[in-house]
Amino acid sequence: MARWRYVLSEALGGLRRNLLMSFAVILSVTVSLTLLGAGLLLSEQVDLATDDWTGRVEVSIFLCDDRTCPAITTEQRQRLQEDLEAQPVVAEVYYESKREAYERFTRLFADQPTLVEAIDVATLPASFRVKLENPALFGVIREQFAAYPGVEEIVDQRDVLNQFLRFTTLVRNGALAVALIQLLAAGVLIANTIRVAAFARREQTAIMKLVGASNWYVRLPFVLEGIIAGALGAAVSWGILYAAVPRVTADLAREVELLPFIGVEQVLAVAPIMLAAGVGIAALSSFAALRRFIHV
Amino acid sequence: MIRLENVTKTFRRGRDGEVTALDDVTVEVTKGEFVFVVGPSGSGKSTLMRLLTREQRPDTGEVWVSGKNLQKLRSWKVPLLRREIGYVYQDFKLLPTKTVRENVAFALEVIGRRRQEIAERIPEVLDLVGLTEKADALPHELSGGQQQRVSVARAFVNNPRLLLADEPTGNLDPGTSVEIMKLLDRINRTGTTVVMATHDQQIVDSMRRRVVELEDGRVVRDQTRGVYGYGG
Repeated sequence: MARWRYVLSEALGGLRRNLLMSFAVILSVTVSLTLLGAGLLLSEQVDLATDDWTGRVEVSIFLCDDRTCPAITTEQRQRLQEDLEAQPVVAEVYYESKREAYERFTRLFADQPTLVEAIDVATLPASFRVKLENPALFGVIREQFAAYPGVEEIVDQRDVLNQFLRFTTLVRNGALAVALIQLLAAGVLIANTIRVAAFARREQTAIMKLVGASNWYVRLPFVLEGIIAGALGAAVSWGILYAAVPRVTADLAREVELLPFIGVEQVLAVAPIMLAAGVGIAALSSFAALRRFIHV
Repeated sequence: MIRLENVTKTFRRGRDGEVTALDDVTVEVTKGEFVFVVGPSGSGKSTLMRLLTREQRPDTGEVWVSGKNLQKLRSWKVPLLRREIGYVYQDFKLLPTKTVRENVAFALEVIGRRRQEIAERIPEVLDLVGLTEKADALPHELSGGQQQRVSVARAFVNNPRLLLADEPTGNLDPGTSVEIMKLLDRINRTGTTVVMATHDQQIVDSMRRRVVELEDGRVVRDQTRGVYGYGG
Protein backbone atom coordinates (compact mmCIF):
# COMPACT_ATOMS: atom_id res chain seq x y z
CA MET A 1 0.00 0.00 0.00
CA ALA A 2 2.72 2.40 1.07
CA ARG A 3 4.63 1.35 -2.04
CA TRP A 4 1.83 2.33 -4.39
CA ARG A 5 1.31 5.61 -2.60
CA TYR A 6 4.97 6.39 -3.16
CA VAL A 7 4.94 5.38 -6.83
CA LEU A 8 1.78 7.38 -7.56
CA SER A 9 2.87 10.50 -5.70
CA GLU A 10 6.25 10.42 -7.46
CA ALA A 11 4.55 10.07 -10.84
CA LEU A 12 2.10 12.90 -10.23
CA GLY A 13 4.88 15.02 -8.76
CA GLY A 14 6.88 14.47 -11.92
CA LEU A 15 4.00 15.59 -14.12
CA ARG A 16 3.46 18.69 -11.99
CA ARG A 17 7.14 19.61 -11.83
CA ASN A 18 7.33 19.81 -15.58
CA LEU A 19 3.91 21.13 -16.41
CA LEU A 20 4.71 22.56 -19.82
CA MET A 21 6.32 19.33 -20.97
CA SER A 22 3.41 17.29 -19.61
CA PHE A 23 1.04 19.56 -21.51
CA ALA A 24 3.00 19.06 -24.73
CA VAL A 25 2.89 15.29 -24.28
CA ILE A 26 -0.84 15.23 -23.59
CA LEU A 27 -1.51 17.49 -26.57
CA SER A 28 0.59 15.39 -28.90
CA VAL A 29 -1.08 12.16 -27.74
CA THR A 30 -4.46 13.85 -28.15
CA VAL A 31 -3.77 14.84 -31.75
CA SER A 32 -2.51 11.41 -32.73
CA LEU A 33 -5.28 9.50 -31.01
CA THR A 34 -7.99 11.77 -32.41
CA LEU A 35 -6.75 10.87 -35.87
CA LEU A 36 -6.48 7.22 -34.94
CA GLY A 37 -10.02 7.23 -33.55
CA ALA A 38 -11.33 9.03 -36.63
CA GLY A 39 -9.64 6.45 -38.85
CA LEU A 40 -11.17 3.60 -36.88
CA LEU A 41 -14.59 5.21 -37.00
CA LEU A 42 -14.33 5.61 -40.76
CA SER A 43 -13.64 1.88 -40.97
CA GLU A 44 -16.77 1.30 -38.92
CA GLN A 45 -18.66 3.56 -41.29
CA VAL A 46 -17.45 1.58 -44.28
CA ASP A 47 -18.40 -1.70 -42.64
CA LEU A 48 -21.82 -0.40 -41.78
CA ALA A 49 -22.48 0.88 -45.28
CA THR A 50 -21.33 -2.32 -46.87
CA ASP A 51 -23.32 -4.34 -44.33
CA ASP A 52 -22.71 -8.00 -45.00
CA TRP A 53 -25.75 -8.30 -47.23
CA THR A 54 -25.16 -5.37 -49.53
CA GLY A 55 -21.50 -6.16 -49.57
CA ARG A 56 -21.89 -9.61 -50.97
CA VAL A 57 -24.43 -8.78 -53.62
CA GLU A 58 -23.01 -7.53 -56.83
CA VAL A 59 -26.04 -7.26 -59.07
CA SER A 60 -29.62 -6.45 -58.18
CA ILE A 61 -32.37 -7.32 -60.65
CA PHE A 62 -35.43 -5.41 -59.54
CA LEU A 63 -38.78 -6.90 -60.48
CA CYS A 64 -41.89 -5.14 -61.72
CA ASP A 65 -44.75 -4.65 -59.29
CA ASP A 66 -47.34 -2.82 -61.40
CA ARG A 67 -46.16 0.60 -60.51
CA THR A 68 -43.78 1.22 -63.38
CA CYS A 69 -44.43 -1.92 -65.41
CA PRO A 70 -46.85 -4.84 -65.32
CA ALA A 71 -46.14 -7.03 -62.29
CA ILE A 72 -44.04 -10.09 -62.95
CA THR A 73 -45.94 -13.35 -63.05
CA THR A 74 -44.91 -16.43 -61.11
CA GLU A 75 -43.91 -18.29 -64.31
CA GLN A 76 -41.86 -15.33 -65.53
CA ARG A 77 -40.12 -15.21 -62.18
CA GLN A 78 -39.40 -18.94 -62.15
CA ARG A 79 -38.05 -18.79 -65.69
CA LEU A 80 -35.84 -15.85 -64.80
CA GLN A 81 -34.48 -17.68 -61.77
CA GLU A 82 -33.80 -20.86 -63.77
CA ASP A 83 -32.02 -18.93 -66.50
CA LEU A 84 -29.98 -17.01 -63.96
CA GLU A 85 -28.91 -20.24 -62.29
CA ALA A 86 -27.99 -21.71 -65.68
CA GLN A 87 -25.84 -18.73 -66.60
CA PRO A 88 -22.17 -19.72 -66.05
CA VAL A 89 -20.98 -16.27 -64.86
CA VAL A 90 -23.50 -16.38 -62.00
CA ALA A 91 -22.18 -17.78 -58.73
CA GLU A 92 -25.23 -17.36 -56.49
CA VAL A 93 -28.80 -16.25 -56.87
CA TYR A 94 -31.04 -15.18 -54.05
CA TYR A 95 -34.62 -14.03 -54.28
CA GLU A 96 -35.55 -11.19 -51.97
CA SER A 97 -39.28 -10.74 -51.52
CA LYS A 98 -40.92 -7.40 -50.85
CA ARG A 99 -41.21 -8.26 -47.16
CA GLU A 100 -37.55 -9.22 -46.90
CA ALA A 101 -36.56 -6.02 -48.63
CA TYR A 102 -38.66 -4.06 -46.18
CA GLU A 103 -37.13 -5.85 -43.19
CA ARG A 104 -33.63 -5.25 -44.41
CA PHE A 105 -34.38 -1.60 -44.94
CA THR A 106 -35.80 -1.13 -41.44
CA ARG A 107 -32.79 -2.90 -39.98
CA LEU A 108 -30.34 -0.80 -41.95
CA PHE A 109 -31.99 2.50 -41.07
CA ALA A 110 -33.04 1.68 -37.53
CA ASP A 111 -31.59 4.96 -36.33
CA GLN A 112 -33.55 7.04 -38.87
CA PRO A 113 -37.17 6.40 -37.87
CA THR A 114 -38.62 9.10 -40.17
CA LEU A 115 -37.19 7.27 -43.14
CA VAL A 116 -38.61 3.95 -41.98
CA GLU A 117 -42.03 5.46 -41.35
CA ALA A 118 -42.13 6.85 -44.86
CA ILE A 119 -42.20 3.41 -46.44
CA ASP A 120 -44.23 0.22 -46.03
CA VAL A 121 -43.98 -3.34 -47.26
CA ALA A 122 -45.39 -2.39 -50.65
CA THR A 123 -42.90 0.39 -51.38
CA LEU A 124 -39.77 -1.61 -52.04
CA PRO A 125 -39.60 -3.89 -55.08
CA ALA A 126 -38.77 -7.59 -54.87
CA SER A 127 -35.49 -8.48 -56.52
CA PHE A 128 -33.04 -11.16 -57.47
CA ARG A 129 -29.70 -10.65 -55.76
CA VAL A 130 -26.97 -12.09 -57.91
CA LYS A 131 -23.38 -12.79 -57.02
CA LEU A 132 -21.06 -13.15 -59.98
CA GLU A 133 -18.02 -15.35 -60.48
CA ASN A 134 -16.28 -12.20 -61.60
CA PRO A 135 -17.85 -8.82 -60.76
CA ALA A 136 -16.44 -7.33 -63.96
CA LEU A 137 -18.82 -9.50 -65.99
CA PHE A 138 -21.82 -7.36 -65.08
CA GLY A 139 -22.35 -6.48 -68.74
CA VAL A 140 -23.16 -10.10 -69.62
CA ILE A 141 -26.03 -10.14 -67.13
CA ARG A 142 -27.43 -6.83 -68.32
CA GLU A 143 -27.39 -7.90 -71.98
CA GLN A 144 -29.08 -11.21 -71.35
CA PHE A 145 -31.71 -10.26 -68.79
CA ALA A 146 -32.61 -6.59 -69.29
CA ALA A 147 -35.25 -7.48 -71.87
CA TYR A 148 -36.86 -10.26 -69.82
CA PRO A 149 -40.52 -9.63 -69.11
CA GLY A 150 -41.12 -8.45 -65.57
CA VAL A 151 -37.60 -7.07 -65.11
CA GLU A 152 -37.70 -3.44 -64.12
CA GLU A 153 -34.07 -2.55 -63.75
CA ILE A 154 -30.66 -4.19 -63.38
CA VAL A 155 -28.25 -2.38 -61.12
CA ASP A 156 -24.57 -2.98 -60.52
CA GLN A 157 -24.44 -2.55 -56.76
CA ARG A 158 -20.69 -2.29 -56.80
CA ASP A 159 -20.84 0.79 -58.90
CA VAL A 160 -23.01 2.62 -56.41
CA LEU A 161 -21.00 1.51 -53.43
CA ASN A 162 -17.59 1.77 -54.93
CA GLN A 163 -17.62 5.52 -55.36
CA PHE A 164 -18.48 6.00 -51.74
CA LEU A 165 -16.13 3.27 -50.56
CA ARG A 166 -13.17 4.46 -52.55
CA PHE A 167 -13.46 7.93 -51.09
CA THR A 168 -14.00 6.75 -47.53
CA THR A 169 -11.15 4.26 -47.70
CA LEU A 170 -8.83 6.94 -48.98
CA VAL A 171 -9.74 9.29 -46.15
CA ARG A 172 -9.45 6.49 -43.63
CA ASN A 173 -6.04 5.39 -44.83
CA GLY A 174 -4.85 8.98 -44.79
CA ALA A 175 -6.11 9.47 -41.26
CA LEU A 176 -4.51 6.23 -40.06
CA ALA A 177 -1.19 7.03 -41.72
CA VAL A 178 -1.01 10.49 -40.18
CA ALA A 179 -2.17 9.03 -36.86
CA LEU A 180 0.67 6.52 -36.95
CA ILE A 181 3.28 9.18 -37.67
CA GLN A 182 1.81 11.38 -34.95
CA LEU A 183 1.81 8.48 -32.53
CA LEU A 184 5.46 7.88 -33.28
CA ALA A 185 6.19 11.56 -32.67
CA ALA A 186 4.24 11.40 -29.42
CA GLY A 187 6.29 8.37 -28.42
CA VAL A 188 9.56 10.20 -29.04
CA LEU A 189 8.30 13.21 -27.10
CA ILE A 190 7.28 10.99 -24.19
CA ALA A 191 10.65 9.24 -24.21
CA ASN A 192 12.41 12.58 -24.09
CA THR A 193 10.19 13.88 -21.29
CA ILE A 194 10.83 10.80 -19.21
CA ARG A 195 14.55 11.09 -19.82
CA VAL A 196 14.47 14.69 -18.57
CA ALA A 197 12.45 13.60 -15.54
CA ALA A 198 14.87 10.79 -14.79
CA PHE A 199 17.80 13.17 -15.12
CA ALA A 200 16.17 15.68 -12.76
CA ARG A 201 15.76 12.96 -10.17
CA ARG A 202 19.05 11.17 -10.77
CA GLU A 203 20.29 11.69 -7.20
CA GLN A 204 17.19 10.11 -5.83
CA THR A 205 17.35 7.15 -8.17
CA ALA A 206 21.05 6.71 -7.43
CA ILE A 207 20.26 6.49 -3.71
CA MET A 208 17.41 4.11 -4.37
CA LYS A 209 19.68 1.78 -6.27
CA LEU A 210 22.33 2.12 -3.59
CA VAL A 211 20.01 1.02 -0.79
CA GLY A 212 18.70 -1.89 -2.87
CA ALA A 213 15.37 -0.73 -4.28
CA SER A 214 14.29 -3.17 -6.96
CA ASN A 215 14.49 -2.14 -10.58
CA TRP A 216 10.77 -1.90 -11.14
CA TYR A 217 10.45 0.22 -8.03
CA VAL A 218 12.99 2.70 -9.37
CA ARG A 219 11.45 2.76 -12.82
CA LEU A 220 7.75 2.54 -12.13
CA PRO A 221 7.18 6.18 -11.12
CA PHE A 222 8.65 7.30 -14.44
CA VAL A 223 6.75 4.77 -16.51
CA LEU A 224 3.57 5.66 -14.65
CA GLU A 225 4.22 9.33 -15.33
CA GLY A 226 4.24 8.55 -19.05
CA ILE A 227 1.20 6.32 -18.79
CA ILE A 228 -0.86 8.95 -16.98
CA ALA A 229 -0.01 11.50 -19.67
CA GLY A 230 -0.88 8.96 -22.37
CA ALA A 231 -4.19 8.08 -20.72
CA LEU A 232 -5.09 11.75 -20.33
CA GLY A 233 -4.37 12.32 -24.01
CA ALA A 234 -6.54 9.33 -24.90
CA ALA A 235 -9.37 10.64 -22.72
CA VAL A 236 -9.26 14.12 -24.26
CA SER A 237 -9.17 12.81 -27.84
CA TRP A 238 -12.02 10.43 -27.13
CA GLY A 239 -14.00 13.33 -25.66
CA ILE A 240 -13.46 15.28 -28.88
CA LEU A 241 -14.73 12.38 -31.00
CA TYR A 242 -17.64 11.77 -28.64
CA ALA A 243 -18.72 15.39 -28.96
CA ALA A 244 -18.10 15.76 -32.68
CA VAL A 245 -18.81 12.49 -34.50
CA PRO A 246 -22.51 11.95 -33.67
CA ARG A 247 -23.21 15.54 -34.67
CA VAL A 248 -21.40 15.25 -37.98
CA THR A 249 -23.04 11.95 -38.87
CA ALA A 250 -26.46 13.27 -37.87
CA ASP A 251 -25.95 16.19 -40.28
CA LEU A 252 -24.74 13.84 -42.99
CA ALA A 253 -27.71 11.54 -42.48
CA ARG A 254 -30.00 14.47 -43.24
CA GLU A 255 -28.12 15.18 -46.46
CA VAL A 256 -27.50 11.63 -47.68
CA GLU A 257 -30.72 9.83 -47.02
CA LEU A 258 -30.18 6.32 -48.26
CA LEU A 259 -27.07 5.42 -46.33
CA PRO A 260 -26.79 4.31 -42.73
CA PHE A 261 -24.33 6.28 -40.55
CA ILE A 262 -22.42 5.48 -37.38
CA GLY A 263 -23.46 7.07 -34.09
CA VAL A 264 -22.56 7.20 -30.41
CA GLU A 265 -22.47 3.43 -30.15
CA GLN A 266 -19.47 3.13 -32.46
CA VAL A 267 -17.67 6.03 -30.75
CA LEU A 268 -18.07 4.18 -27.45
CA ALA A 269 -16.71 1.03 -29.05
CA VAL A 270 -13.40 2.63 -30.12
CA ALA A 271 -12.72 4.02 -26.60
CA PRO A 272 -10.84 0.94 -25.32
CA ILE A 273 -8.70 0.81 -28.47
CA MET A 274 -7.74 4.47 -28.14
CA LEU A 275 -6.96 4.07 -24.45
CA ALA A 276 -4.85 1.00 -25.15
CA ALA A 277 -2.96 2.84 -27.92
CA GLY A 278 -2.32 5.89 -25.71
CA VAL A 279 -1.24 3.90 -22.68
CA GLY A 280 0.67 1.41 -24.80
CA ILE A 281 2.78 3.98 -26.65
CA ALA A 282 3.45 5.84 -23.38
CA ALA A 283 4.52 2.74 -21.49
CA LEU A 284 6.65 1.53 -24.35
CA SER A 285 8.51 4.78 -24.91
CA SER A 286 8.94 5.48 -21.18
CA PHE A 287 10.39 2.05 -20.68
CA ALA A 288 12.67 2.39 -23.67
CA ALA A 289 13.86 5.79 -22.37
CA LEU A 290 14.72 4.29 -18.98
CA ARG A 291 16.41 1.16 -20.22
CA ARG A 292 19.66 2.96 -20.83
CA PHE A 293 19.28 5.58 -18.18
CA ILE A 294 18.49 3.57 -15.09
CA HIS A 295 20.39 0.33 -15.09
CA VAL A 296 21.67 -1.57 -12.12
CA MET B 1 32.24 -12.04 4.45
CA ILE B 2 34.27 -10.72 1.52
CA ARG B 3 36.69 -12.52 -0.75
CA LEU B 4 38.45 -11.15 -3.80
CA GLU B 5 40.42 -13.72 -5.76
CA ASN B 6 42.93 -12.55 -8.36
CA VAL B 7 40.72 -9.63 -9.30
CA THR B 8 41.80 -7.45 -12.22
CA LYS B 9 39.90 -4.45 -13.48
CA THR B 10 40.99 -2.09 -16.22
CA PHE B 11 39.32 1.01 -17.58
CA ARG B 12 39.58 2.52 -20.99
CA ARG B 13 40.93 5.99 -20.89
CA GLY B 14 40.85 8.05 -24.06
CA ARG B 15 41.18 6.37 -27.44
CA ASP B 16 43.65 3.63 -26.79
CA GLY B 17 44.86 4.25 -23.25
CA GLU B 18 44.09 1.71 -20.57
CA VAL B 19 44.30 2.19 -16.83
CA THR B 20 44.66 -0.79 -14.56
CA ALA B 21 42.61 0.04 -11.47
CA LEU B 22 43.09 -3.32 -9.80
CA ASP B 23 45.82 -5.76 -10.71
CA ASP B 24 45.52 -9.34 -9.50
CA VAL B 25 44.15 -8.39 -6.10
CA THR B 26 43.41 -11.11 -3.56
CA VAL B 27 41.95 -10.03 -0.21
CA GLU B 28 39.76 -11.74 2.34
CA VAL B 29 37.74 -10.04 5.06
CA THR B 30 36.06 -12.16 7.71
CA LYS B 31 32.81 -11.42 9.45
CA GLY B 32 32.98 -8.68 12.06
CA GLU B 33 36.31 -7.24 10.92
CA PHE B 34 37.14 -3.55 10.60
CA VAL B 35 39.39 -2.96 7.61
CA PHE B 36 40.97 0.19 6.26
CA VAL B 37 41.77 0.27 2.57
CA VAL B 38 44.44 2.91 2.11
CA GLY B 39 46.52 4.27 -0.71
CA PRO B 40 46.89 7.43 -2.79
CA SER B 41 44.17 8.65 -5.13
CA GLY B 42 43.94 6.41 -8.17
CA SER B 43 45.35 3.42 -6.34
CA GLY B 44 42.12 1.46 -6.85
CA LYS B 45 40.36 1.96 -3.50
CA SER B 46 37.08 3.18 -4.96
CA THR B 47 37.08 0.53 -7.66
CA LEU B 48 37.48 -2.13 -5.01
CA MET B 49 34.49 -0.74 -3.09
CA ARG B 50 32.36 -0.58 -6.22
CA LEU B 51 33.09 -4.18 -7.06
CA LEU B 52 31.59 -5.17 -3.71
CA THR B 53 28.17 -3.65 -4.51
CA ARG B 54 28.44 -4.78 -8.11
CA GLU B 55 28.30 -1.27 -9.45
CA GLN B 56 31.22 -2.61 -11.44
CA ARG B 57 32.35 -6.05 -12.44
CA PRO B 58 35.92 -7.30 -12.63
CA ASP B 59 37.57 -8.30 -15.91
CA THR B 60 38.98 -11.44 -14.37
CA GLY B 61 38.93 -13.03 -10.93
CA GLU B 62 36.11 -13.65 -8.52
CA VAL B 63 34.33 -11.44 -5.99
CA TRP B 64 32.40 -13.04 -3.13
CA VAL B 65 30.23 -11.01 -0.74
CA SER B 66 28.26 -12.63 2.10
CA GLY B 67 28.40 -16.02 0.45
CA LYS B 68 27.42 -14.85 -3.04
CA ASN B 69 29.61 -15.09 -6.09
CA LEU B 70 28.95 -11.70 -7.69
CA GLN B 71 30.01 -12.96 -11.12
CA LYS B 72 27.15 -15.39 -11.12
CA LEU B 73 24.62 -13.15 -9.37
CA ARG B 74 21.63 -12.46 -11.61
CA SER B 75 21.09 -8.76 -12.16
CA TRP B 76 17.60 -8.85 -10.67
CA LYS B 77 19.18 -10.13 -7.45
CA VAL B 78 21.61 -7.22 -7.19
CA PRO B 79 19.10 -5.10 -5.21
CA LEU B 80 18.86 -7.94 -2.68
CA LEU B 81 22.65 -7.95 -2.32
CA ARG B 82 22.63 -4.20 -1.73
CA ARG B 83 20.04 -4.53 1.02
CA GLU B 84 22.67 -6.42 2.99
CA ILE B 85 25.20 -3.64 2.50
CA GLY B 86 25.21 -0.16 3.97
CA TYR B 87 27.11 2.45 1.97
CA VAL B 88 28.50 5.80 3.17
CA TYR B 89 29.89 8.29 0.67
CA GLN B 90 32.31 11.13 1.00
CA ASP B 91 29.67 13.62 -0.19
CA PHE B 92 26.85 12.23 2.02
CA LYS B 93 24.35 11.93 -0.86
CA LEU B 94 21.33 13.11 1.10
CA LEU B 95 18.14 14.26 -0.57
CA PRO B 96 18.02 18.04 -0.02
CA THR B 97 14.23 18.33 0.10
CA LYS B 98 13.76 15.61 2.69
CA THR B 99 14.25 15.99 6.45
CA VAL B 100 16.72 13.88 8.41
CA ARG B 101 13.97 11.48 9.40
CA GLU B 102 12.66 11.26 5.82
CA ASN B 103 16.12 10.71 4.38
CA VAL B 104 16.68 7.76 6.69
CA ALA B 105 13.14 6.43 6.25
CA PHE B 106 13.53 6.64 2.46
CA ALA B 107 16.02 3.78 2.51
CA LEU B 108 13.42 1.52 4.11
CA GLU B 109 10.44 2.82 2.14
CA VAL B 110 11.96 2.05 -1.23
CA ILE B 111 12.66 -1.55 -0.29
CA GLY B 112 9.03 -1.93 0.72
CA ARG B 113 9.21 -2.02 4.50
CA ARG B 114 6.00 -1.51 6.44
CA ARG B 115 5.26 1.93 7.88
CA GLN B 116 4.95 0.48 11.36
CA GLU B 117 8.39 -1.09 11.10
CA ILE B 118 9.89 2.13 9.76
CA ALA B 119 8.29 4.18 12.52
CA GLU B 120 9.86 1.88 15.12
CA ARG B 121 13.29 1.70 13.56
CA ILE B 122 13.92 5.39 12.82
CA PRO B 123 14.13 6.64 16.46
CA GLU B 124 16.54 3.81 17.33
CA VAL B 125 18.96 4.62 14.57
CA LEU B 126 18.70 8.40 15.05
CA ASP B 127 19.51 7.83 18.69
CA LEU B 128 22.52 5.73 17.72
CA VAL B 129 23.97 8.56 15.60
CA GLY B 130 22.92 11.20 18.15
CA LEU B 131 20.53 13.14 15.91
CA THR B 132 17.23 12.63 17.70
CA GLU B 133 16.92 16.38 18.19
CA LYS B 134 17.54 17.09 14.50
CA ALA B 135 15.02 14.64 13.11
CA ASP B 136 12.96 17.34 11.40
CA ALA B 137 15.86 19.41 10.11
CA LEU B 138 16.73 19.61 6.44
CA PRO B 139 20.25 18.61 5.36
CA HIS B 140 21.34 22.18 4.60
CA GLU B 141 20.53 23.17 8.17
CA LEU B 142 23.11 20.68 9.46
CA SER B 143 26.89 20.78 9.75
CA GLY B 144 29.01 18.47 7.60
CA GLY B 145 29.56 16.08 10.46
CA GLN B 146 25.86 15.94 11.22
CA GLN B 147 25.06 15.30 7.58
CA GLN B 148 27.53 12.45 7.51
CA ARG B 149 25.88 11.00 10.62
CA VAL B 150 22.54 11.06 8.78
CA SER B 151 24.23 9.24 5.94
CA VAL B 152 25.60 6.63 8.38
CA ALA B 153 22.14 6.29 9.93
CA ARG B 154 20.68 5.65 6.49
CA ALA B 155 23.37 3.09 5.74
CA PHE B 156 22.79 1.30 9.01
CA VAL B 157 19.01 1.54 9.31
CA ASN B 158 18.40 -1.79 7.57
CA ASN B 159 20.87 -3.61 9.89
CA PRO B 160 23.29 -4.49 7.12
CA ARG B 161 25.89 -7.21 7.67
CA LEU B 162 28.46 -5.12 5.83
CA LEU B 163 29.09 -1.38 5.95
CA LEU B 164 31.17 0.17 3.20
CA ALA B 165 32.49 3.70 3.68
CA ASP B 166 34.27 5.45 0.83
CA GLU B 167 36.30 8.36 2.25
CA PRO B 168 33.58 9.14 4.82
CA THR B 169 35.76 11.76 6.53
CA GLY B 170 37.07 13.26 3.31
CA ASN B 171 34.91 16.38 3.59
CA LEU B 172 35.16 16.78 7.35
CA ASP B 173 37.53 18.54 9.72
CA PRO B 174 39.67 16.35 12.05
CA GLY B 175 37.48 16.83 15.14
CA THR B 176 34.31 15.85 13.29
CA SER B 177 36.12 12.95 11.64
CA VAL B 178 36.86 11.46 15.04
CA GLU B 179 33.14 11.50 15.85
CA ILE B 180 32.32 9.65 12.67
CA MET B 181 35.06 7.10 13.40
CA LYS B 182 33.64 6.52 16.87
CA LEU B 183 30.28 5.93 15.27
CA LEU B 184 31.68 3.44 12.74
CA ASP B 185 33.57 1.72 15.55
CA ARG B 186 30.36 1.37 17.56
CA ILE B 187 28.59 -0.08 14.55
CA ASN B 188 31.47 -2.52 14.06
CA ARG B 189 31.10 -3.64 17.66
CA THR B 190 27.49 -4.70 16.97
CA GLY B 191 28.98 -7.36 14.68
CA THR B 192 28.79 -5.47 11.41
CA THR B 193 31.78 -5.86 9.12
CA VAL B 194 33.17 -2.44 8.19
CA VAL B 195 35.37 -1.68 5.18
CA MET B 196 36.54 1.91 4.93
CA ALA B 197 38.53 3.43 2.10
CA THR B 198 40.51 6.46 3.22
CA HIS B 199 43.72 8.36 2.89
CA ASP B 200 43.35 10.04 6.26
CA GLN B 201 46.59 9.04 7.93
CA GLN B 202 45.73 10.28 11.42
CA ILE B 203 42.56 8.27 11.61
CA VAL B 204 44.17 5.05 10.44
CA ASP B 205 47.03 5.46 12.90
CA SER B 206 44.73 6.17 15.82
CA MET B 207 42.38 3.25 15.22
CA ARG B 208 44.99 0.49 15.02
CA ARG B 209 42.89 -1.81 12.85
CA ARG B 210 43.69 -3.98 9.88
CA VAL B 211 45.13 -2.01 6.98
CA VAL B 212 45.15 -3.11 3.34
CA GLU B 213 47.33 -0.81 1.28
CA LEU B 214 46.92 -0.46 -2.46
CA GLU B 215 49.38 1.07 -4.84
CA ASP B 216 48.80 1.16 -8.60
CA GLY B 217 46.09 -1.44 -8.18
CA ARG B 218 48.21 -3.95 -6.26
CA VAL B 219 48.04 -4.94 -2.62
CA VAL B 220 51.42 -3.84 -1.26
CA ARG B 221 50.64 -4.41 2.40
CA ASP B 222 48.06 -6.25 4.48
CA GLN B 223 48.66 -5.77 8.17
CA THR B 224 46.53 -6.40 11.25
CA ARG B 225 46.60 -3.50 13.74
CA GLY B 226 48.43 -1.39 11.18
CA VAL B 227 49.22 2.25 10.65
CA TYR B 228 48.97 4.29 7.47
CA GLY B 229 52.59 4.41 6.38
CA TYR B 230 55.35 1.88 6.91
CA GLY B 231 56.01 3.56 10.21
CA GLY B 232 59.24 5.00 8.83
